[in-house]
Amino acid sequence: MLAELKHTLRRMRGQIIGWGIGLGLYAVMMAALFSTVAELDMEAYLTQFPEEMMAFFSNMSAVATPAGYMDTYFFSMMTLIVGILAISAGAGLLVGDEEKGILDLVLAHPVSRTRLFWGRLLGMAAAIAAALLISWLCWLVPARSSGMNLDWLGFLRPYLPLFAELFLFGTMALLLSMVLPAGRLAGMVTGGLLVANYLLLGLSNLNESLKAMVKLTPLYYYQGGMAAEGLNWAWLAGLLAAALLFALGAWALFQRRDIRVGGERSWHLPSLRPASKKL
Amino acid sequence: MDGSIAIDIQDLHKAYGQVQALRGVTLTVKRGEVLGFLGPNGAGKTTTIRCMLDLIRPDGGTIRLLGLDPQADPVAVRARVGYLPGELSLEANAKVESALRYFTDLRGSRVDWAFVRELAQRLELDLGTAIKNLSKGNKQKVGVVQALMARPELLLLDEPTSGLDPLMQQEVYRLLKEAQAGGATIFFSSHIIGEVEAIAERVAILRAGQIVEEARPEQLVNMHVRRVHVRFKEPVDAAHLAQVRGVSVLAQDDTAATLQVEGEMEGLIQALAPLGVSDLQTEHPSLEEAFLAYYAAGKEAR
Repeated sequence: MLAELKHTLRRMRGQIIGWGIGLGLYAVMMAALFSTVAELDMEAYLTQFPEEMMAFFSNMSAVATPAGYMDTYFFSMMTLIVGILAISAGAGLLVGDEEKGILDLVLAHPVSRTRLFWGRLLGMAAAIAAALLISWLCWLVPARSSGMNLDWLGFLRPYLPLFAELFLFGTMALLLSMVLPAGRLAGMVTGGLLVANYLLLGLSNLNESLKAMVKLTPLYYYQGGMAAEGLNWAWLAGLLAAALLFALGAWALFQRRDIRVGGERSWHLPSLRPASKKL
Repeated sequence: MDGSIAIDIQDLHKAYGQVQALRGVTLTVKRGEVLGFLGPNGAGKTTTIRCMLDLIRPDGGTIRLLGLDPQADPVAVRARVGYLPGELSLEANAKVESALRYFTDLRGSRVDWAFVRELAQRLELDLGTAIKNLSKGNKQKVGVVQALMARPELLLLDEPTSGLDPLMQQEVYRLLKEAQAGGATIFFSSHIIGEVEAIAERVAILRAGQIVEEARPEQLVNMHVRRVHVRFKEPVDAAHLAQVRGVSVLAQDDTAATLQVEGEMEGLIQALAPLGVSDLQTEHPSLEEAFLAYYAAGKEAR
């Protein structure tokens, strides 16, 4: 398992560094701007926004607090942005190699499918965590001078639900890659579900009838930056449990899978022609 | 299972949807033997090999490799097997050495790297080159090295010299003979008749998912059509020789005839004995012609 974990991390090192630096630079900029935003008369400023928009982004009124600020300007959109990394990693984790014809040779070596699966999944989780870790460090550096009254743990807490959400969508993409004929299709479907969930969550603040539905979706249980003030452990555990369920489903399907030599699978619709009679 | 058997396949079936790829393949290979696995495209050669490695699961039948069931204990089987796929794909961005190091890690580091370097040197393979910069032949060399580097007891090779130049092909044959001398069993599929003649001790011909022939290469040649030129001491009517089973007369004059014989020669020899033969020449078909006869029979059957 360790060989696969190392291998996955080595393959994803470019993404870890690229995403980590990108998120880190954004975190530095946001941390540096906090004092400026906090000093603004935000309440007067926010009254200029349409009511519907304020409702869509429900935490905008708390923007002058460190937690609300981090939530509005950073964590609320990170599921969508870093979701690209998690979903693409999940969708291609095994099927990507299968479509390239690489998995055939890898699985001809003395490694069980279980070890390969969990080794790579742990590698993916570690890669996402590493990119988020770089970003967390970048909040810490300028935060003290910019007046964000949070300790290192306060900055770390929102990353836990963010990681859980990303891992959940990554494992969802992995599961779908075992069901759908192509990895890219699994990525597209999972990405579509993520965006739909994001929109549904915002719209549920405008339309009460959507509240019941949105409670069935993962982003409802995402605390975002507000986790800086305290974690909802039940929500966090629920997200991780759902991710584990997706992973177990994908693992079970991978165990039974016929490994292809290469290329994408295809779906054949059942023939509508009546079966020919035997002579 | 008999300990002298390296591969034992019984009644193996595999379908891809409506397509029946294997229809009851039964085959045994002794330890230390080199078996050439031949057949036209789509005959099921690669499917058989991939079933042996548990990359795909058969619908029926049994497989035992080195006495082990690959479906029950794939890791134990693969630890003793070296595999070269027919369509070799490697991570494009990796260097040759890091790709081989990864395969070493998957084998639990049980690879002698001095031997890896020796293999690379003999195949003129630069370990420092990125895979993406390698030609098809050089990529194939990486495949050969990774298959041999753990000195496996059983080698499953799907077209081992595909893309290699003739000199490198010869080097690969030498490496395979050395592996065999070290006790390895070699099971390889190929379309290259010269390769089969060079290294196979026995061949199995697969057609439409079934083994249609198993024999030594020279037996295959003898089983097939040959041409016979006969010169007689006196003028004879050779036309009645066509009545001998498996014989047809291609050309004749008063004292000579050219015949085509399918199968055993015994009947013809007996028919010629009373005619006074002054000279007899037999043209054996090449192994290639023998295979083509099998392949053509397959097309006719379809």
